[in-house]
Amino acid sequence: MNKKRWISVVVAAALCAGSFPTAVMAAEDPYKIVVMPKLTSIPYFQQTGEGAEEAGKDLGVEVIYNGPTTADAAQQVTMIEDYISQGVDAICVAPNDPAAMQSVLQRARDAGIVVLDWDTQADPSLVDASIHNIDDKTFGEHMMQLLVECMGTEEAEYAIVTGGLSAENLNTWIEYATAYAEENYPDLTLVADPYPTDEKQDVAYSTTQDLLRAYPDVKGILGFSTPTGPGCGLAIRDLGLQDEVSLVANAVEDDVQDVLSDGALDVGCLWSCHDLGYLTVCVAKSLLDGNTLEDGMEVEGWGEIEVQDEKAVILGPPEDYISPESGVESDVAAEETEDTDAAASEEAAEAETADDTAEAEDAEAADTAEEATDAEEAEETAE
Amino acid sequence: MQKIIEKITKKKELGVFLMIIILSALITMVNSSFLTLDNIFDFLRSNATIGIMAFGMLPVLISGGIDLSCSSVISLCAVVAGYMMAGNSGMNPVLVVCLIMLLGGFMGLINGVIITKLKIPPIVTTLGTQTIILAGVLLYTNGMWISGLPQWFIDFGKFQLGSIESAGKLTGLSTQAILMFAAAFVTWLMLKYTLVGRGIYAIGGNRRSAMRIGYNVDRIEIFIYVYAGLMTGLAAIANISIVGQVDPNTYLNYEMDVISVVVLGGASVMGGVGNVFGTVLGVILMAVIKNGLVLARVPTYWQKVVMGLIILITISADVINRKREQAKLVRVDVEE
Repeated sequence: MNKKRWISVVVAAALCAGSFPTAVMAAEDPYKIVVMPKLTSIPYFQQTGEGAEEAGKDLGVEVIYNGPTTADAAQQVTMIEDYISQGVDAICVAPNDPAAMQSVLQRARDAGIVVLDWDTQADPSLVDASIHNIDDKTFGEHMMQLLVECMGTEEAEYAIVTGGLSAENLNTWIEYATAYAEENYPDLTLVADPYPTDEKQDVAYSTTQDLLRAYPDVKGILGFSTPTGPGCGLAIRDLGLQDEVSLVANAVEDDVQDVLSDGALDVGCLWSCHDLGYLTVCVAKSLLDGNTLEDGMEVEGWGEIEVQDEKAVILGPPEDYISPESGVESDVAAEETEDTDAAASEEAAEAETADDTAEAEDAEAADTAEEATDAEEAEETAE
Repeated sequence: MQKIIEKITKKKELGVFLMIIILSALITMVNSSFLTLDNIFDFLRSNATIGIMAFGMLPVLISGGIDLSCSSVISLCAVVAGYMMAGNSGMNPVLVVCLIMLLGGFMGLINGVIITKLKIPPIVTTLGTQTIILAGVLLYTNGMWISGLPQWFIDFGKFQLGSIESAGKLTGLSTQAILMFAAAFVTWLMLKYTLVGRGIYAIGGNRRSAMRIGYNVDRIEIFIYVYAGLMTGLAAIANISIVGQVDPNTYLNYEMDVISVVVLGGASVMGGVGNVFGTVLGVILMAVIKNGLVLARVPTYWQKVVMGLIILITISADVINRKREQAKLVRVDVEE
């Protein structure tokens, strides 16, 4: 149907290729890196996109951040096919359905494109690197520890509210969290299987109200997936139970300021979405430069990275958004003091190299420094 | 007395009604806090959104149409309401509600005009507008949540009519529940006592004869979709007043919930059948199921199974009842 256009594209391409010596082109053309989220229309993937695009600017590569508007696996496949025929250098994808991705990712690799996954894992044999937002075990256990700390007791009933019963990553975190509780807090009782909320805030709201009626002795709630933070928090506030029931839930920072203010949500817990996008692009560029992944290696624009099982790059420790009413001074942060110190110094080093981002980095460094002092205080009080 | 019982048993809503009673009894046996006023007011509140939309959907289904776009329209209305109020806290509350309902009505008008003037089947039209409107909303908002709604709106959402002591705290009928009952009442008046309302049944029963009797079928159909839009606008207000934040993605698949509530309440997707009382029962049954299964401590994985079973039993009881009645009718015909 578009024969004419097709021909003109081919002709144009031929002309371009002919008019420039290929060697010059390779030197001048920045890498084209496609970063594809599961969907573009939620705050989480907006923030990862900002990070990815910023990394593109800082590293001088062309970042194309694009994905379907709803979590549609088939659409991701066709979009990747388009990018393969456009001839990009790297494709980083957060697959909606890893199985549906297999053949198209194989084709991308056959075309000599570097393939990464991020946020959610694709088939490990088909990717050159896999960016994990978090170490699943650390994250699940971290949330459990926080909950116990917020409740202030190791002998209580608690409940779990989750985004969906079939979400692989949520289930993994829940498994690690409950396993950790069984081992370390034998007097904690999980009152029921996790309650699903269809990834919807208003469902999280009504489910929480109902479950607190069904189990009036519940002292703590763990919320997995980001709508649970504000949803469960509002329910607790409307029941007037801010001081009786502790809530530790996944949350995007901007969306939970309100529920954090009065302790309806005690601690919001996630990783830095911005950094996830940033790291993905940094690792992609490093691979395109011909580096091989290695634990503790230096990556341009990021610093030292943690690599597990040859391919899995771990973003870092979780980020906590703590309510002033929660009474948590985060001794978990104390465990991570070393890490955050290291991160702070890395960031300081980065700030020196990249002048235009210096301000932002400084602010972050200040934040982490604050966390470190908080942690020290916590240690003191503990003593 | 016997007459009343006879009248009730003849009603086709009997199945739903009995199911509500049986379920309530069972749930109360497991957890006595189910039948407290506090809990009842509460589940009315959290189901008001679906309820209000259901009263908009009812006339659509009676006329033999369907409106799949309501989930996108409510998202649009919620987002516009959110931006309007977050940017400008001094706005007159009544004006906000009116404007949002009008916006919903306008979307309904578009549906109605396409369906009647271009003669495109409702399911196709509304599927199209559903996709377009949702895409527009997501394009504009990027899926970002809107918070920072003014205090008067939060207070409006928390208002309770009356204060009765129940389960150790004061409780009353919430704004959202009041809006739902108002919607039910207006819809009932419209369907039962206006010419348009009777016209809707006529169209659903037989479109051609409705036209021959002299109903302006096109105009009535446009009205139906505008009415559904108005109700959806109202539902948007009720919904965001509960959580005090707007999440444009939260309304995905709402149309299925709304349609199933209306069908559960005895309306037929084929048109011609259905009434407000049935829909009220449908909303209550769905609310009782959702709230009650949690309160009755049914294990999470079993809840969906039980939910499906209850819906199946209710609807098949209804169908069997109707068949039995029809069988009687046939015999009378033959004997005469």
